[in-house]
Amino acid sequence: MSAPVMTETKPAAAGSHVKPTALISGTFVTRDLKRTRRMCEALLGLECVEPEQGVLLIRERGHKPGEKLAGQPYWVLEAREVAEVAVPQEMLNHWGVFVASQAAVDEAFEKITAQQKEFGLGRVQKPRFRYGSYAFYFVDGDSNWWEIEYRTPELLYTSLRQKGDQVDPNAP
Amino acid sequence: MTPASLVNPDLLSHGTLECSDTPATRRFLTEFLGIDVIRPLPEAQYLSKGGPWTVVCVRVDGEQKEQGPQNRFKLAVASAAEVDAAHAAALAHKDAYGIRRIENVEEKGGIRAFRLQDMNNVWWEIANLTQKHYDDAFARGDYKQ
Repeated sequence: MSAPVMTETKPAAAGSHVKPTALISGTFVTRDLKRTRRMCEALLGLECVEPEQGVLLIRERGHKPGEKLAGQPYWVLEAREVAEVAVPQEMLNHWGVFVASQAAVDEAFEKITAQQKEFGLGRVQKPRFRYGSYAFYFVDGDSNWWEIEYRTPELLYTSLRQKGDQVDPNAP
Repeated sequence: MTPASLVNPDLLSHGTLECSDTPATRRFLTEFLGIDVIRPLPEAQYLSKGGPWTVVCVRVDGEQKEQGPQNRFKLAVASAAEVDAAHAAALAHKDAYGIRRIENVEEKGGIRAFRLQDMNNVWWEIANLTQKHYDDAFARGDYKQ
């Protein structure tokens, strides 16, 4: 096994053409906004709001004033209601949440499997270890894939950013 | 009190996209879009721009599946003028970065934005958004019918 390439993470924006302040949101579509909202709230434990007809905003809980994450940055998913899903999604285009432990992944798998039909879900895959994380995937009624994942602290994204590249970025 | 849910996540943690040419994709992401990128694995790059969440870019063989613009990632820039500057840069450097499509800039409700499709069929939106936009939306609650 070759030695890892350790290069410090270098912020990209200084000389870039676009100068973003944040990677702020991801978007997807659903044929039934109420069904998606119910899944996001009652299954995934996320906070939702409908700012206008046919649009759902989703974030993790805890960002309301007075709550533990108030004032901290967050990522938003925007779901839009459509008559038909023009481009069905596949597993490699998924959205993910982190849970606190490997046991929490197993518990989520058991609960979601038990209520698969009630939430209108498609496949629910079994949990497995991959690249040090422990996770499983399921697909909702609109072909959107979701991942429930546990990562040890050293594999959290913020920890990995501190380490920088572990593989030569110019390698194919 | 928040009702109990089946899952109690700590974080809405990530999205994913596919690429085939990892170095070329990284050049586009860092040099053009200004996203921070690390490569922890041979088959994956992790994209970020502040915050603990990430977008995982997974290398796949062959042509990526066509992604519709309704499935996209949004980048916030600081002003409407920066949206226009980004649009001009996309047109000027389209071939250099393998950008496939660039839509016109549009403005709705004070948000100026445009969308582009990259070499991997992934759609990006560049908009003068701030987190306050979302803070306000969550604070206002659901729209009234």
